[in-house]
Amino acid sequence: MGPLIPNGIIGGGWDFVIAILLGVAFGFILEASGFSSSRNITGVFYGYNFVVLRVFFTALIVAMVGLMYFDYFGWLDLSKIFILPTYVTPMIFGGVVMGLGFILGGFCPGTSFTAIAIGKLDALLFTIGLYIGIFIFSLGYPLIEGFYNSGNLGNVTLTDVTGIPAAWFALAFTVVALAAFWGTMIIEKRVRKNMKEYKF
Amino acid sequence: MKNTMDNQPKYINPYLGGVLLGLLIIATVFITGRGLGASGAIKSSVVTTANTISPEGTKENAYMGQFVSDDHSPMYTWLVFESLGVFLGGLLSGIIFGRVKKFRTDHGPKITSRKRLIFALIGGALFGIGSQFGRGCTSGAALSGSATFALGGVIVMFSIFGTGYILAYFFRKLWI
Amino acid sequence: MNRNYIFLTILMIVLAVGTLMLKPAKQLKQIEPETLLKEIVQPTRYISTDEVAKRLIQGDPSLLLVDVRSEAEFEKYSLPRSLNIPTEKLMADDNLSYFGVPGTKVVFVSNDDIKADQTWVLTKRLGFNSTYVMKGGLNCWMETIIDPVEPSPDAEETEFKTYSFRKGAQMYFTGAQVDDFNDSKVEVQVRRKEKTSVASGGC
Repeated sequence: MGPLIPNGIIGGGWDFVIAILLGVAFGFILEASGFSSSRNITGVFYGYNFVVLRVFFTALIVAMVGLMYFDYFGWLDLSKIFILPTYVTPMIFGGVVMGLGFILGGFCPGTSFTAIAIGKLDALLFTIGLYIGIFIFSLGYPLIEGFYNSGNLGNVTLTDVTGIPAAWFALAFTVVALAAFWGTMIIEKRVRKNMKEYKF
Repeated sequence: MKNTMDNQPKYINPYLGGVLLGLLIIATVFITGRGLGASGAIKSSVVTTANTISPEGTKENAYMGQFVSDDHSPMYTWLVFESLGVFLGGLLSGIIFGRVKKFRTDHGPKITSRKRLIFALIGGALFGIGSQFGRGCTSGAALSGSATFALGGVIVMFSIFGTGYILAYFFRKLWI
Repeated sequence: MNRNYIFLTILMIVLAVGTLMLKPAKQLKQIEPETLLKEIVQPTRYISTDEVAKRLIQGDPSLLLVDVRSEAEFEKYSLPRSLNIPTEKLMADDNLSYFGVPGTKVVFVSNDDIKADQTWVLTKRLGFNSTYVMKGGLNCWMETIIDPVEPSPDAEETEFKTYSFRKGAQMYFTGAQVDDFNDSKVEVQVRRKEKTSVASGGC
């Protein structure tokens, strides 16, 4: 049955209406979980607020496990969905640069949009920064084109690379995430004792 | 009721938020065949601006040229509409939970607002550059990519959070 | 609070472990030999050339003609709006994604029935529904649509009706170059029957 739009069950005209609706749900969840504050987000790196880890990894394992069941019941053909292409070295480099940007800026793109919506100036500056960054990248592209396209493995999944069935990865991520949830609960309690001015 | 709403931001349970977000990813993949994203919308607006200022230059640029099409504006993409929705969704939640207020800046106790804004700008620029190399940001590559078991998504996820933890110590003055 | 979290943790682990059990069930999903045999025996998979011509003229969007001959043959002559997937390449690339789309009828076309029929059996074996075979293939197409035979004067009225439809279809598919047709580049082998055959005759 699914995916609905690539299979032609929902017409192309509905594409953008659906995009806005899914976006509204995404933005609502991010804001309601507290991602509209950079201090809540960076708390994950200093141990005083693990909301990022909780929301992110809960979403990840729910989606992973859920997609497996959708595939099994025939609602969704996992072989037809878009798989992010893998470019090993550029992606590691990109991740490192994003990690640095994350710790300096305190947002990621999606969360900054919701933070602007409730009036955070730092989020506005972060988004302007994003814009500038992508502009710089585009201008400098001829110089880095070779690196940008290096290490291309194509649209591969973990199963394609390792030969281990996806279910094992879903289970491994679930176990690690659940262990992290319990572990961080203890860490958070200890760190928060020493922090007086931060509002939770 | 003495300003309790102002001092205590009411957030939903993070695990509830996570489950909802996970279901949303499933719904998105089920409907569109691909995941959520955010940085793609900024890329579209960069291309649009460049295309308005200098159409020839944009077409010649090997990177931006591939996103320019003659039949519609570069803004007319799925991710731009989705990101517009993200903004509206944030606004909706902010109104419901009473968090929409006048412009303000979050910053750690040891730095000024001004310094925070400068770092936000630098951080944003770095994130923008990194998201192009990573083929997506935290939502597009790390979250949706990993959820669909893409190798690239897992690589991006571990490099973002790994770097964050390694560098956190050096930038602790910004936040705690 | 903590008790709820313990419950949720266990639930999540059970669900995740459950995914491990899913895989084997999926691999067994294939059509039963008995079912396949029943489908092969029945003639319902055949669509006549007249029907194909009618749908092509009407521009039926649900019709997908798939030409299973080789690329070289396909380039020499092919039906309008048909897609070339040689039988050898059925499993290659993303070719299988054309089949099993809801609301679409896939009709296989070859020179005669045989290659199209073989491809049809393969797609049935792969579990696709709504695949069909153009009865008589392109040879029959040539005889009935491109070069229809006028029925004898004492034939039944329905035969004349069929004939007039075929004449119209001939005009539609060959255009103004009806006369040029025989000496043009079209090189599909046509096994012509005796002139005495009636228009309604099957291939």
